Amino acid sequence: MTEIYLRLVNLILTPLIILVAILLFLRGHDLPGGGFIAGLLVAAALELTILSRGATVTREQYGPWLIPLVGLGLLVAVIAGLLGIYGGGFFHGMWIEFYLGGDKIKMGTPQLFDLGVMLVVIGMGVTYLLRLSEAAEAVSKNDAVEGEQP
Amino acid sequence: MNVHPTILAMPVAIPLLFGALSLLMQGIRTPHRVRVQQILAGIAIGANLILALLLLSYTLSGGRMSFQMGLWPAPFGITVYIDGLSAIMLTTVGLLSALIFPFAVATMDAERARLGFYPMALFLLMGANGAFITGDLFNLYVFYEVLLMSSFVLLTLGGTPSQINGGIRYVVLNLMGSMMLLLAAGITYGTLGTLNMAHIAVRMGATPYLVQAVIAGLLLIAFGAKAAAFPVFFWLPSSYHTPHPAVTALFSGVLTKVGMYSLFRTFPLFFPWLLDEWQPLILTIAGLTMVIGVLGAFAQPTIRRLLSFHIISQIGYMFMGLGVAMAPTPYGVGFGLALAILFLVHNQIVKTALLLGGGAVELETGTGKLNELGGVVALRPFQAALFFLAAFSLAGFPPTSGFIGKLGLLEVTFSSGSWVIAAVSVFVSLLTTMSMIRLWQYVFWGKPHSKYRMPKKLATQGASMAMTVPVLILVVLSIAIGVMAQPALDAVQVAASQVIDRVGYVETVGPELTASDLQIPFGNYPADAVAAGR
Repeated sequence: MTEIYLRLVNLILTPLIILVAILLFLRGHDLPGGGFIAGLLVAAALELTILSRGATVTREQYGPWLIPLVGLGLLVAVIAGLLGIYGGGFFHGMWIEFYLGGDKIKMGTPQLFDLGVMLVVIGMGVTYLLRLSEAAEAVSKNDAVEGEQP
Repeated sequence: MNVHPTILAMPVAIPLLFGALSLLMQGIRTPHRVRVQQILAGIAIGANLILALLLLSYTLSGGRMSFQMGLWPAPFGITVYIDGLSAIMLTTVGLLSALIFPFAVATMDAERARLGFYPMALFLLMGANGAFITGDLFNLYVFYEVLLMSSFVLLTLGGTPSQINGGIRYVVLNLMGSMMLLLAAGITYGTLGTLNMAHIAVRMGATPYLVQAVIAGLLLIAFGAKAAAFPVFFWLPSSYHTPHPAVTALFSGVLTKVGMYSLFRTFPLFFPWLLDEWQPLILTIAGLTMVIGVLGAFAQPTIRRLLSFHIISQIGYMFMGLGVAMAPTPYGVGFGLALAILFLVHNQIVKTALLLGGGAVELETGTGKLNELGGVVALRPFQAALFFLAAFSLAGFPPTSGFIGKLGLLEVTFSSGSWVIAAVSVFVSLLTTMSMIRLWQYVFWGKPHSKYRMPKKLATQGASMAMTVPVLILVVLSIAIGVMAQPALDAVQVAASQVIDRVGYVETVGPELTASDLQIPFGNYPADAVAAGR
């Protein structure tokens, strides 16, 4: 199951894809991108890990964190909504602007909400992918056992 | 009362916040996890009930409120809106979840609690609350999806083969209902250019009759499927008997009733004239739902299967109330709707009492099969008496809430000239009584079997209390509504008058929506029916 070239691809590509996901997340408010797509991309990056190292190892590594991650994402999203009450109403967008080395940087509660969405999507997406790979591995294991029998 | 309208977001935010926290707790080790999740759920349910009572007292004194999420103005942002009907539903569902909670804590098996019963129950509460307060058609669809997903997890939690089997039927048929709702929302947006419910109400009068009929028909199918009305009720009896009894009780108090609530909300708001024109259709659905539900109950072999067919049968009465909602009565227009709301609340209370009582029998004896049960009255006389009272309230005997609800609905159907449905409903009441007597004979009468085995966990004093006291409170509530009918009738009449006051709804959400540029005639029905209708 653990192919050597897939492991190499995993080693190089997974960090790159996660980097692209972070870029997409950051440009998401006004341009195409955002938390949902970034979350899907991170899940796709982790699928590479599942393919190269097997679902069992990945489950041991990330499994216990997936559902709490969904909870954390929902929590971050609600907190983004609750912060809006300070500005006049639930989910009211609040922004901070500051300059960092000459570039104007805008941060606000909609981005926090997007971060929550991203965490939920990562948690759910990786759970689905793991379940699918585990089912596929179980089937291929069964086939192998049946093939050995005369 | 002077509160900031942002409080209207709280019925959704509170269960979501605590649901997210307890989902986060899925990361810690088992014995502590369940305890912490129980505490979080208890806080959320308590806060939700207090909030609902606050909103109820505000709306029943004539107030109504709306809030724009994120402060985006009305047709663009998501509106939340509350009036008497929403507040009554919020309170009933809040009360039911507060009563089912101790039952669930006492009886839930460790495996299901570990897999996340408590966070999912909170998400179910969030979905129901959201559906009750939203003022946006697409948002309503989203909350239906929240309800569907969380209820699907609750239904299959534990993963026994019968649960998976029932769960698949449940999710497939409910997804079709959701598709109809999505289709209706899409057609509404395509033809009227808006999804805000107040804005839809304003523009509906200017659309051709065909468009109105398509939207109304799709909504009737979608909400009818959610409410388990004839002919789209199959998902309910094939799934409700499979999960833990506390889950069945929660479903019966929440799921089908959200469908009925949506019908009570959308039809009088969007197209009240269609309630008059389509009265024969709605009353036919009502009659068939009643008769088929109650006849199906006679063929059922277990307590919960029998009771779930009665859920369907009682939905028929609420459709009857919907059919005469706009009918002229000696008490004014909207009296039919008021009684339908009263019957809805009565049914939520009594049905949950029956399912909790029947579920307790099932848990304590280890079986729900009618031919294996018998003589429970000797083992648990007090619980048996409570079940008896709840069963007779369901059948409509005085002095219970069932009597008031059915008598009122009969009065309205007679005085508006719908003789056939009135006769059918009386006949179905008789059949309901017979079915309840049959259930009573099988389960409570006779000699106790010797092979009942009670789980050790339930043999304590505390567990016995947690299974009895919620039923006691519900039965007392049902009798209280029956004995002191006037305050209850006053409350639902305030709610119904707010529901049919379309002008008031639009003015609460946003007076600028009356769209003076389009020159659409808009007003209350039936005050200017011809102008608004065609």
